Amino acid sequence: MLDLDMSPYAAFVWPAWGVSALVLAALTARAVVASRKWKRELERLEKDQSATSDAAVFPRPQVVRSTIGPEA
Amino acid sequence: MFGLSNPQRFMDFTGPLTPVLWTAAAVLLAVGTWLSFSVPADYQQGDTVRIMFVHVPAAVWGLGAYSALGVSSFFALVFRHALADAAARAAALPGAAFTALALFTGSLWGQPMWGTWWVWDARLTSVLVLFLFYLGYMALRASIDDEQKGARAAAVLGLVGLINLPIVKFSVDWWNTLHQPASFLTPGASGLDPVYLPPFLTMLAAYGVLFLALWLTAIRTEIRRRRVLTLRARQVLEA
Repeated sequence: MLDLDMSPYAAFVWPAWGVSALVLAALTARAVVASRKWKRELERLEKDQSATSDAAVFPRPQVVRSTIGPEA
Repeated sequence: MFGLSNPQRFMDFTGPLTPVLWTAAAVLLAVGTWLSFSVPADYQQGDTVRIMFVHVPAAVWGLGAYSALGVSSFFALVFRHALADAAARAAALPGAAFTALALFTGSLWGQPMWGTWWVWDARLTSVLVLFLFYLGYMALRASIDDEQKGARAAAVLGLVGLINLPIVKFSVDWWNTLHQPASFLTPGASGLDPVYLPPFLTMLAAYGVLFLALWLTAIRTEIRRRRVLTLRARQVLEA
């Protein structure tokens, strides 16, 4: 059975537990938010990178033309 | 084990592990909290004994996090291993937060039991010094623009701070302190009443698993951040 009557020490017990809960929640939130932010950014950059390398492997026609010189 | 020093293998290994750790930490914290408020009040300390269930785990893992930071700093400094440096950096913030919690909750426990919020005894002072080492480590890293130079300077500070760990642990044995000696990890017999062991051990495990979850998540974030910086630099070079 839960005992939530902390008197006469409620002014010490509840702040100890409350601040602990707040700090642990803030640490968790910060870790999750930072993780998602950098994961998203990395995925975006890798997508850009693969698009660029695809373009290098399969160059656009005008690029190919320019490498072989102007058409006669 | 050494295979995990490869960042890609580390990411592959910890990818499925971190959600398990987060879930385990949440479950252990919920069960530990319920147990902490289910046990009877202490016959001498009354309900303030419940502060122990958040104070001791925070102190233990504040020390544990610094051990992780110090050992990682050693590998980063000696072998110039990037993952070790990421691990040291990732341990700093949760370690500092746990140590600050230990100081704060200890103060709240000390006032009704000792009649004072703070006393400059060896245990309290050495834990305060531990907290200052954490702050110094993070401040040093942040204050140097060149990340590599900042990492090396902070690693040296991290290593120096390891000296403080045995002082924290044995301060209650080496000096006369108002803080009580170790009552749980006493050779022979535990000074803790058996009725308090289930909530105490559950909360100790909860904080430990939570620290692992925070640490691994922060290392993974740091690896991604460095990849992003590398890709951005490559884009600038190619442009």
